[in-house]
This record gives sequence, C-alpha cells and structure tokens, in this order.
Amino acid sequence: MAAAPEVIIPYHEVRDDLWRPLGPASNRYWIALSIAFAVAAWGILCWGYQIYAGIGVAGIRRPVFWGFYLVNFVFWIGISHAGTLISAILRLTDAGWRKPVTRVAEAITVFALMIGGMFPLIHLGRVWVFYWLIPYPNSRLLWPNFRSPLIWDLTAIVTYLSGSVIYLYLPLIPDLAQLAEETSGWRKRLYSALSLGWTGSDREWHSLEFAMKLMAGLILAVAVSVHTVVAWDFSMSVAPTWHSTIFGPYFVTGAIFSGIAALILVMTVVRRALHLEKYLLSKHFNNLSKLLLLLSVAWLYFTAAENLTIWYGNDPKEMQVFGVRTRGGYAPFFWFMVFCNFVVPFVLLGIRRLRSITTATIASACVLVGMWLERFLIIIPTLATPRLAAAWGHYAPTWVEISITCATFSAMVMMYLIFSKLFPMISIWEFEPHPPEPEEE
Amino acid sequence: MSVYLSGDFASVEPATRAIRDLKSRGYGLGDLVVFSDEPIIFPPGVLRRPSHMSLTAVLGAITMFLLASGFVYFAQHNYPLITGGMPIFSFWASGIISYEFTMFGAIVSTFGCFLWESGLVRKREEAPVPHIQPERIHLRVRCRPEQTDEANHLMLRAGASGVTRL
Repeated sequence: MAAAPEVIIPYHEVRDDLWRPLGPASNRYWIALSIAFAVAAWGILCWGYQIYAGIGVAGIRRPVFWGFYLVNFVFWIGISHAGTLISAILRLTDAGWRKPVTRVAEAITVFALMIGGMFPLIHLGRVWVFYWLIPYPNSRLLWPNFRSPLIWDLTAIVTYLSGSVIYLYLPLIPDLAQLAEETSGWRKRLYSALSLGWTGSDREWHSLEFAMKLMAGLILAVAVSVHTVVAWDFSMSVAPTWHSTIFGPYFVTGAIFSGIAALILVMTVVRRALHLEKYLLSKHFNNLSKLLLLLSVAWLYFTAAENLTIWYGNDPKEMQVFGVRTRGGYAPFFWFMVFCNFVVPFVLLGIRRLRSITTATIASACVLVGMWLERFLIIIPTLATPRLAAAWGHYAPTWVEISITCATFSAMVMMYLIFSKLFPMISIWEFEPHPPEPEEE
Repeated sequence: MSVYLSGDFASVEPATRAIRDLKSRGYGLGDLVVFSDEPIIFPPGVLRRPSHMSLTAVLGAITMFLLASGFVYFAQHNYPLITGGMPIFSFWASGIISYEFTMFGAIVSTFGCFLWESGLVRKREEAPVPHIQPERIHLRVRCRPEQTDEANHLMLRAGASGVTRL
C-alpha cells in the first residue's frame, strides 16, 4: 500500500467532498434504491403471507423448530457488532485512524440491529402476541418468565439498540448544526431540529467529548453482553453440542469477526460509490484487514477448541451431531465455512504482498458467507439430530424463508442508501485534514 | 445590561493567553465562552468546567439496577411459576435482566446529562453567538459597558486578530 506525499487537503475541500454525496441523487442511486426497495417490499409481502397462512409456510418442522429465521437473527446481531464495538474500542484507545471509519461502522450497527431484532417477531408466527413479552400481567395475571432467554434477548437488544442510536447520534450533532447553516428547505428544518440548537461552544464540545468517552465504555459492555445472551439462547439448553461454556466468547468473537468483514465491505462500496477515495484510505483497509486476520485465527481457535472437546469427550449423542456436521450431510457446508472463514482471509490478508483493498473486500465477502454458514451449522444439525434417534429430522428452507432472508440484505442496502443521502458518512468535525494518497496500483 | 464581545483567534495559544488575562481581571467562567467548529484542547485549568456526567451515569445505573431487580422480584412472587425446585427468584436467572437495565440506566442518564450540561435542552440564554469561521477560535466575553475597552484591549494584546461587539 502506497506511501502518502506531504500535501494537506484544505479544510474547505474536505467539507465539499464530504457534503457532496448529500446533493441530488444520480440515476444509478435511484435504480439501486428501487431494486433494494422492491426486494425488501417482496420480503414484507412474504411475511404478510406467512402471518395470513400460518408459520407452516416456513420450512420449520419438528424437530427443527429453528430455521433460517434464527440463523438470520444470530447473523445480523453479529453484524451489529461492527460499528459500536469497533468504534468504541478505537475511540477508547484514541486510535486516530478510526475517524473516517466510525460513522460507517456505527450506522451498520443500528441498521443490523433493526433487522436482527425483527427475526424473533418473524419467527414467532403469531406476531400479534408479541406483547406477551412486555412485562405486565396479562389477562390471567401471569407475568413473563424472567428466566427465559427470550426475555433476556428482548432486554439486551432494546438496551443495545437504544445505546447504539444514541452513540450514532451524538457525534452527528455538530455536523448537523453545520449542515443546518448551509442548507435550505426541508433539509434545513430537519438538520436544525436534530442539531438541537448546537452553537459550537466549549461547554457543548466538552460535554460531547465526555459523553462519547463514557458511552464508548458503556456500549462496549452492552455489545459483549448482547451476543453472549444470544449464545446463551443455545447453551442454556441441554442439547448436544449446544451446552457449552465457551459459547459466549465464541459467539462474541464470531460477531466481531463478521462485523469487521461487514465494515470492510460497506467501506469499499461507500468509498467507490461516494467517491471518498481521499478519505477512506488504504491504511484504513490495511488496519482493518489485520484485525480481520487476527479474528480469523481467533475464530479458528474457538472452533477447534469447541470441536476438539466434543470429539475427545466422545459422548454418543454429541458425536452424532459432530458426525453429521463434519462427515455427513452438512460436511460440505462445514468445510466450505472453514475455507471461507480461515483459508481465504489467511492467504489473502496474511501474505503481505497480496493484501490490498480488493483482496480485503474479497476476504470480507467470504467471511460473511462463512459466518452465515457457521450460524446455520450451529443451529440446524443439533436440532435435526436430537438425542432420540427416532426423532431425527431434516430441514429445508421454503421460498418464504429464502425471500425474507434476501429481503433483509436488501433492507440493509436500502437503509444505508437513504442514510448516505441524509447524513455525511464521515464525521466532518472529527476529521483531521491529512495528506491525500495516490490511487492503489 | 451586559455587553458581549467576540475575539477572533487563529490558534489555541493566544486564546489561552486571553482567557488567563481576563480571568486574572476578575472575569468568571460564566463570562467566557469559546466557540469553534471543532473541539479545542486548552492547557489544564484554563477553561475547566466541572462535569457530573460520570456520577450521573453511576446513579442512573444504580437506580435502574434496583428498579429492575425489585420489579423482577415482585413479578416472580406476584405469580409464582413452577420452577422445579429452583428458587422463585434467583440472581443467577434474573442477573441478565438486572445487568441490561443497569446499563440502560447508565446510557440514558449519560445522554440526559449530556443534554443538560451542554445546555442544549435548558432555556437558552439570550446571549448572541458569533459566526464561527472554519479553523478559527472565537472567544465571547460578557462584560459591563464600562469594561468594554479593558476586555477589548486584553484580547488584542493576547493576540486576537480582531474584536467585534456582538
């Protein structure tokens, strides 16, 4: 990755470059938004059909009562660790290079959580009884069971989502105040309302910086707890290969791993689509690639530790699941997951000569595929191979589940497209003018 | 009747000198406000404004912890579920709920304290705000009409490129 010459980008140019994406949308933008909207709308229609016809239109059957919906739930909650966690860690450690990266990451967190949080509702089937989870005594004076991991999920996700929205919003305020001064019409009204009358006084800056530091610490603790709680959804049941003490850290590591992959992928798209090549530099991709590589190794370690103890323990019921996962019907998925999550990142990012923005993007795409498969392989084989051999079953997703899954990815794209037209993707006030970097060779 | 002056500075050093000089002449922290388009780091003690944000976050966390734990305890005893011999209320099982609400309390109180301490939600003072130029530091000084010349002189002597009456 090339060295930078000693020329500083002037402040007004930085501001112009970062505000330019907020201008009138191009035809390509509208086409992308329309496609994303159409697929997301199709997913909502499919969900409507499922509500009308019943959960039977999904492929979940006894004994596999958790299918694509729960796989997607765990996957999206994992992706949500991209922003807040990475941004918070880098903010707490005062890593200067984080500045152009944080908002891209924080937005991923909020959108991924919104999408992930929908899946328990979709999976519920009878979504209109969702309010039973809300803690108040129902018609039979029955309170929710606070021992249930479902309630744990609800509280964890609500806390994480509220914290992430605040964490995204706080550093937006000074930018919104600047935008309110420069824009007119509905944009001016929107930015003025959201900037809360920010004037740029030292009292405001002091409070903002202090709040951001405090929020970074708090959100870090919440982010870790959220994916640990998601892991406990599984490990609290005495099902083969689920009842594991390392599921919490295993899931958290996987979540950060997939989160960084999502961040690199989104950064590549944002960089190219919004022409931010001068700001999202190869050094940012290089640093994130190293983090991805580190987490790839950590993921392999946890996967090996988890599977080795199952194999060494040789419990017949666990070995059945282990067998179908590594040698049976799910083996191609398992080994493809290892290829995507370890072999590809290790080769493309571990060999310095090969490390570039392009290879980081390829490795990230592979990691996302691999991590989705990991969630699938944790959930489905265990449920399809219960302790009683007579109860073994099979799971195949239906078109409804596949449509809703595709719709969630489109919804992510759609929300990101809308966000990028309303708010600057890089925090202007946090951005320090830096030497421009020549295009990668 | 107060008068507001705005000194325009190119860097932190002259602004720091101006603040020190003004403070030595009896101007309080409430009279001096710095405006900029990015956070300015002054030397320690120059423009130190005390913050109760950490304390508020801790108090918010404790409050929500007590409320959540108390609520779960009440709910579990209000309609005791069959627990198979396990205690009706156990911190092991309700610990997650208590923890998440504790963090929720800390997050919400931090945000609330930010809004309060930054002055964004309080009734706004009528004081005028200087127009912020990029990469410039504006020091607003509140003084009595007879102090105008003195404040003007102190800021120019410290290195202000200009002083305007707001």
